Amino acid sequence: MVPHAKSGFWRGLAPYLLSSILLISAYMHVGAVKVAASSLAVIGIPIHFVASLPSMTLAAMQGRLITTDQLRRQFEFLREQNLILRARLQRFEFLENENNRLRELLQATPQAVEKVTLAQLVAVNPDLGSLTVLVNKGSADDVYIGQPVIDAGGIVGQVTKSSLFTSKISLITEESQAVPVQVVRSGVRAILYGGGKNRTLRVMYLDRNVDIQPDDVLVSSGLGEIYPPGYPVAVVTAVERNVAESFMNIEAKPMSHLGRDREVLLLWPTQLKSSDHGSDAIVEEKSE
Amino acid sequence: MQELPGGFVPDWVSLVLIYWALAFPVRMGVPIAWVTGLIVDIITLGIPGAHAFTKSVIVYITGSLALRIRAFPIWQQSVVVFLLLSLELASLVIISGLTGEAITGMHRWTAVVVGALVWPLIYHVLRRSRHSSNLRGS
Repeated sequence: MVPHAKSGFWRGLAPYLLSSILLISAYMHVGAVKVAASSLAVIGIPIHFVASLPSMTLAAMQGRLITTDQLRRQFEFLREQNLILRARLQRFEFLENENNRLRELLQATPQAVEKVTLAQLVAVNPDLGSLTVLVNKGSADDVYIGQPVIDAGGIVGQVTKSSLFTSKISLITEESQAVPVQVVRSGVRAILYGGGKNRTLRVMYLDRNVDIQPDDVLVSSGLGEIYPPGYPVAVVTAVERNVAESFMNIEAKPMSHLGRDREVLLLWPTQLKSSDHGSDAIVEEKSE
Repeated sequence: MQELPGGFVPDWVSLVLIYWALAFPVRMGVPIAWVTGLIVDIITLGIPGAHAFTKSVIVYITGSLALRIRAFPIWQQSVVVFLLLSLELASLVIISGLTGEAITGMHRWTAVVVGALVWPLIYHVLRRSRHSSNLRGS
């Protein structure tokens, strides 16, 4: 009567468990299996499409239901915003030129601005709400592993896996993630560690007497060669100096929206060259 | 502040698999669960075999106890679903820990609780769809 009783554990379940275990260990140790898995991920495209249908129709309906008045107001707002941003950009361009000139004087290569691509979040939830998101750009769009991802607020995370048309972004809040940062106000360098879901980011291993305080903005320092320098990462929320410990407890809050926006930006930094020259310059200084 | 809405979304795939394993314990067996889990692993760029493993286990357990579970009142079924989803999550955490991929923390248990809470809904929706398409349970 009980259906599996006929086949039982050894014939009904054990072979499948064994093959899963073999597959997992093959994935861990054989590189070809990883490549095969990421190319097989192409079968997900129709599934991703179907999963995105409800939100797409919702967005389309919102577009239909919007009134001319609202549209006009939105247009006005965007036009103003655009003007302000353009005014700021003029100043930025001026500063960039000046910066490049100064770098030439110092014989350091200017830090080239990178290619940027917009990627949309895929409406499939990877792995029970872990601290990763899937986006609709993959190795077909030259996405590579370790690629920095930002949004309007700041750094979101880095690409940790990519298939042909999708890639997985690990957010900076993940426990295994760390971002080399610099305090804008004082120039102190530190490393920002992810704390996990619903926990704050932490700056670790900073001496008690280091100059850092709440509301300090942390930007990426460019060390570690994953994140390009100068992008905002987090704001310090609490600094706790304990006399009994040699390091401070520092908490920080991410500035980006961490993939809650529907779009993120993928960056292609060209920092390798500049960092090479940077190290050359240091060597020269030492030899002198 | 830093919570993704994804943290509360239950594993729909497991819930649907559990329902069909209850309704058709003979036809909806471990092979289907294994293949479904593998597809989940591949399209979410996870560890291939992890969900295949866990979904095979929960469908096997559900199928073996299907006749007993079907006799339960709905809230008791929710408890069973809670246990099954917890088992799946626990094994997923162990597998990801063994493979050195990121282990994520306690927040995933919210998804398990939510999964158990939405079980009555899943049950009624899927049963209605089963009845309207005239599929007879075994």
